[in-house]
Parts: sequence; structure tokens; C-alpha cells
Amino acid sequence: MATAPVVETHPAPLAAAPAPHPKKGVLSHWRLYAAISPFYLLFLAFGLIPVGFSLYLSFHRWDGLGAMEYAGLSQYRYLLADGQFWSSIGNTVVIWALATFPMIFLAMVTAVMLNSAVRFKNVYRFAFFLPNVTSIVAVAIIFGSVFSTNFGLVNALLQAVGLDQVAWLNTPWGIKVAIATLMTWQWTGYNAIIFLAGLQTIPGELYEAARMDGAGPVQTFFRITLPLLRPVLLFVLVISTVTGLQSFSEPQVLLQTTDNNSSFAGGPGHAGQTMVLYFFQQTFDNNDFGYGAAVAWGIFLVVVLFSIVNWRLVQRRGED
Amino acid sequence: MRLSRRGLLRAGLAGTAATALGGLATGCAVPTGSTGRNMVLWYWSGGLSPKVVQNAKARYDDSMNLQAIQIGGYYRSKLMTTMTGRAHIPDIAGLKGEDMASYLPNSDQFVDLRTLGAARYRDKYLPWKWDQGIAPDGSMVGFPIDCGPVAHYYQPAVFEKAGLPHEPADVSAELDTWEKFFAAGEQLKKRLPGTFILTDALSVFGISVNQSTRRYVDEDRHFIGDQEHVRTAWDRAVEATRRGLVSKIVNGTPDNISATERGLLPSQLNASWAAGDIKLNTPRTKGKWRVAQCPGGPSNIGGSFLSITKACREPERAFELITWMLDAENQAQGFVDSVLFPSTPASYGMSELREPDAFFGGQITMDVFGPAARKIPVAFNSPYDIALGTPISDELRNFSVLGKDPDKAWKDAMSSCRRIADHVGVSY
Repeated sequence: MATAPVVETHPAPLAAAPAPHPKKGVLSHWRLYAAISPFYLLFLAFGLIPVGFSLYLSFHRWDGLGAMEYAGLSQYRYLLADGQFWSSIGNTVVIWALATFPMIFLAMVTAVMLNSAVRFKNVYRFAFFLPNVTSIVAVAIIFGSVFSTNFGLVNALLQAVGLDQVAWLNTPWGIKVAIATLMTWQWTGYNAIIFLAGLQTIPGELYEAARMDGAGPVQTFFRITLPLLRPVLLFVLVISTVTGLQSFSEPQVLLQTTDNNSSFAGGPGHAGQTMVLYFFQQTFDNNDFGYGAAVAWGIFLVVVLFSIVNWRLVQRRGED
Repeated sequence: MRLSRRGLLRAGLAGTAATALGGLATGCAVPTGSTGRNMVLWYWSGGLSPKVVQNAKARYDDSMNLQAIQIGGYYRSKLMTTMTGRAHIPDIAGLKGEDMASYLPNSDQFVDLRTLGAARYRDKYLPWKWDQGIAPDGSMVGFPIDCGPVAHYYQPAVFEKAGLPHEPADVSAELDTWEKFFAAGEQLKKRLPGTFILTDALSVFGISVNQSTRRYVDEDRHFIGDQEHVRTAWDRAVEATRRGLVSKIVNGTPDNISATERGLLPSQLNASWAAGDIKLNTPRTKGKWRVAQCPGGPSNIGGSFLSITKACREPERAFELITWMLDAENQAQGFVDSVLFPSTPASYGMSELREPDAFFGGQITMDVFGPAARKIPVAFNSPYDIALGTPISDELRNFSVLGKDPDKAWKDAMSSCRRIADHVGVSY
């Protein structure tokens, strides 16, 4: 224990007095350390140790019950050449994009409408927020019905306008669109509320001034509302990236009956198999915990990559 | 202010200390298994008859405190985690049939039931089922609960309209091979357009593999999924699809239920327990179903076991309990309560099981399931079967649903299998 540097950090007035007792170091603050310790202890038990263990696991072969066998880097080598893992990254990103961009647009429109609503404001807000707190499993079961081929609501609408049926849950794009629609439905209201909060921070004088200068509603939206909402927009983008990259329950529940062997297969051609679903399939269907850990670290790297992109985006906006 | 802050600190400190000490204390004292008179039994909803569990609790009340716990969610994963964590392991654990292959290599985690005198009970159970509970090292891990003989569920009115045999005995006799079954499918489709004899192609493949005595990986850790028995099953599923006998309907959707109710999917090849699903999903079809033998011979889907874990402190008592819970009489009760098809042939003759079933038009379904259950082929289940069977059924689905060229699909399946075999240490 190096006590000297700690002693030096004591404020000057004490310097004239005889040198403080060495015990008055880190230990003298033990109460403070003890007070903040619960978080660190919990983090250690449920965060750091499992993370460390999964790293250790990814260098081994393990069936979850028997003895572990050292496997070196072979799990990672296998991961790099695993086409299904790469396609699961592709699926995740495509579903994320299909869900996020319409969602942001719809949320923005909803927020602007909510902002100018005169009556029943709180009723609307509550109604729009409701999908976000509804059980995802129940929602996915209902969406399974909505997208079913012969008796689904979506195909009924398509046929009403004279279009052909689409086998939504039997075609790669149909599957992705169905999952994305579910996610859009679930998150639009939540993000609309966030946009609404952002809208309400924009001072009314700006709008007044714009009106005085002869700006129409469209011009006002693009010249005043949108630029001032940028930080909120970025926040929404970051949050939806975080949730989108981890999507699991939506495809799992929506597509589990399309496969009689595995509920994590993600439909025909694995078209709806996201990264986390693939991780589950490898780990728990195949009992391949070593490879599962390697897949988890692969997912971690993808998330890091996206975080860096997001961070750069935010940084640049900050410099403007 | 000062006082309250100090008070806060103290409270925080006390809390932490209590947590830490508590954690430490229980950490030292965490029992591996149960303690005292407790006998903890893990199973899942529908895994055992609730009535038998209740009776067992009452019957063994003086010697033990039976705590039967239904574990929800992903059962195998929870059991394995608990065993690996070496704490609070149940004394008796239910093992699902499809998971057996992953438990058997770790037979050292379980009590070898031979040491408790299991051999005495052997001739009361279906031999193939008994053998499935035995690990490669010869020790006996699982004691048979139920099994799932596959049968042909069909709607006689639709079959009659299509000019097909429609009495159970006739269907069993005249649709006994896959070729005859497919021919019937063609006739059905021709006479009643929009009607399909198969919902999906995968079931033909899965049942055909189960009808064989071999699967994907053999005892010597060698890949055999490229051989005749799998190839035949594959070709059979491809043929059914090509002849247009397979519907485009996704299992478990409202489409499926509606088509079944309207007689557009008048036939299902499925295990005995699927009768429960049919009754639950399409209650309006009551009386419109019959059961016949499955084309191509008997096979099995599912069925589970009870095991005694190494953490059990009183294996003899536990064994006494499970042999009673799974005797012929209680298995008959299990069938009545939870459609658990008995693995004890003596149950098949009991009056509870020979009740006419109104859902099946008063048919005594045991006449079909009983004989099928006795003749199920024994196959070695490798822990690598799931990893190496999945690419084949995935590619089959790519063909049947997405229209991929079947030869290309087979080649792709085999090249995935080669990669995976190499990765998990199975010789190709």
C-alpha cells in the first residue's frame, strides 16, 4: 500500500501540524468506500465475473455439464468462417434499418401532431406509449396472426386493393418486414414522447419570429424544428441502435412455430435470425457453450463498431 | 445535516455488511442438494400427472417431504445450470426425451439406477424406451416416463369424399407405405382441389429418420447423416413437395387452424401427445377425427424420463418413489390426466385407456397407439445429433419453402455438416 501520495493530497492547512498518522490514508475513508460498495459488489458478481468467464469460456469447448477442454483460438477461427453468423449480422442490420427509419419518421409526425393537439392531450400520450409497455410475447403472437397468409389482416388489406397475397412468414423479405413492423409499432409511441419533450423545449418566440418573417409551416419545420431537435434525434437513434442490435424476442416468438426443431432458427432460410438468436441457437440448442461465448464476443465487437459510429456522429454534431 | 449524512453512511454500511455477511454465510452453507426430510423433484408443466404427484406426496408423507416443483421456461438449460453451479440440485429430476443425448455423456452427475436394483423392473417397460435411458458407459440414468408413438390422424369424412379408405382399419392397411400415402395425397388433391395431405415437408423427413435405426452420428463419433437412411428420408420429403402434396401453410398460425377446421388439411402424422394439441386448437372438429397407423412403420417423437441426481442424499427412497410413480397403474392415470402415453405395456389393457374417445368418433385409440408403441426401432442418440441434423433440415426447408434447387440444397447441407463435424470433433 502506497500511503505517501494519499498523504500529499491532504489540503495545505494541515501541513504545519505534525505529519498525519499513516493510518489516515485510504482506510480513513472506509465508511465512504463501504457506502459505495454495494454497486461494485453487485457489478462484480453479475457483471464483471460473468464477462470474464465468458471470455475464458470462448477459448474452450464445453457442453455445459462435463469437463472443459482447452480449444485455443479455434472457436474464433470457426466464427470468422461461419456464414450463418455473418448472415445473422446482415439480418440484424437490415431489420434494424427497416424498423428504425419509418419509426423515426412516424414518431416525428406523431410528436408534431401531439404538440399541436388541443384536447385529450394526455389520453393520446398514454395511448401512444401503451405499445411500449405491452408484453412483447403477446404482441408477437398477435402479429403472427396479422401476417398469416390466408386469414391475416395485412393480406386482407392487400386483397382489398386488388393486390396478391404475400406469404409473409414464408419469404425472406416478408419475415424481415414483419419483424420490422412489429418493432416499429412498439417503439413509435415511446420515441414520439421523447420527440414531444424535445419540441416543448423549443421557445415559442422562434416560431413567432419565423411567422413574422413570412415562413410557412413546412419552412418552419425544416428550418427551426428539425435543427433544434437534432440532439433529441441523435438520442433516439442511439437508443434504437442499442435495442435493434439486441432484438431477440420479436423474431423468436414470431417465428418459433415455423421450425419444429429449434425455436431460435428464425424462419425459413434463417431470414429472421438475428445475432442474439444465433447465439442462443448455438449455445442452448447445440449445448456448445464455448462457441456460444465466442459468438457473444463477436456480437460485442459489432456493437462496439456501431457505438463508435454513433459516437462520431454525435461528436461531429457537437462541433457544428 | 451532518448527523443525517452520518446516519445514512451508517445505514449503508450496515446494509452492505449484512449483505456481505449474509452472502458469505449462505455461501458456506449452500446445500448441494436438499436437506432434512426434503425430497425435491423437478419437472415441467404436463411432464407428470398432477394427480399422481399429489398421491405420491400423501403416500410417502411419513418418510419424506416431497416438494414437486414445476420449472418453467427452458428446462434443460435451467437444470444444467443448477447442476454446474453445484447448489440446490433437485434430488429427482425429470429429463426430456429430446435432451437425453446431452445428459447421457455426463452420467457421472446421476445415480446409476442399476445400483438401486432397476433390473427388477426392466421387463415391465418397453425395451426400446428402457434402453434410451442408458448411457454409453452402461449406467442407467433415466427411468421411463412416457413415449410418443407416431400415428396418422385423419378426417374420415374428407377421405370418403375423395374416394379414399376411411375406416381406421382400412387406412392402416391400405396406406401402410409412403408410396401409397403419397398416391392417396394425389387423389385427395385431384378430387378436392385445395386440400393437402401434408402440412409441411419437414414432418415426412423427421418421421422417416425416426423410423430408421440410425440417425446422424454413430457411437464412434462418426458422421452418418450422409448415408442411405437420411438420404432416403430427404428424397421422400423432396418427392412429396414435388408432387404438390405439401401445403404452404405455416404451423401454428390461424391459417393452419382454419384450414384444419375446413377440412383442407385433413391429415396429420404426429405423436400420440399431438391428440391433445388437436383437441385444444380445433375443438370444433370434435368427432371428425380418427387415428390409423403411420405409413412406413412405427416411430417415436418425444417422451421423457425421471433421474436421481448425485446430490440426492437418499437414493433408495427416491428410487422407491419414482418406481411407484411410474408403475403401470400410475402411468395409466398419467395418460388420462395429461396424455402421457405409458411406457408400461401392462397399462394398455386397463379400462381407463380403453375408453372410447368421443373426439375421435368413439374410437378406442389405444388399438392404434398400443401396437405402434411396442415396435419402435431403437436408434443411438448422439449428443451431436442436433448440431449435425439442423443443417440438413434447414436446407430441406430452403427447398420446400423457398424453392431452392434440392441437389444444391443437399450439397450445401453436406458441406455445412462437414464444417460442423470438424468443429465439434466428429469424424466425417
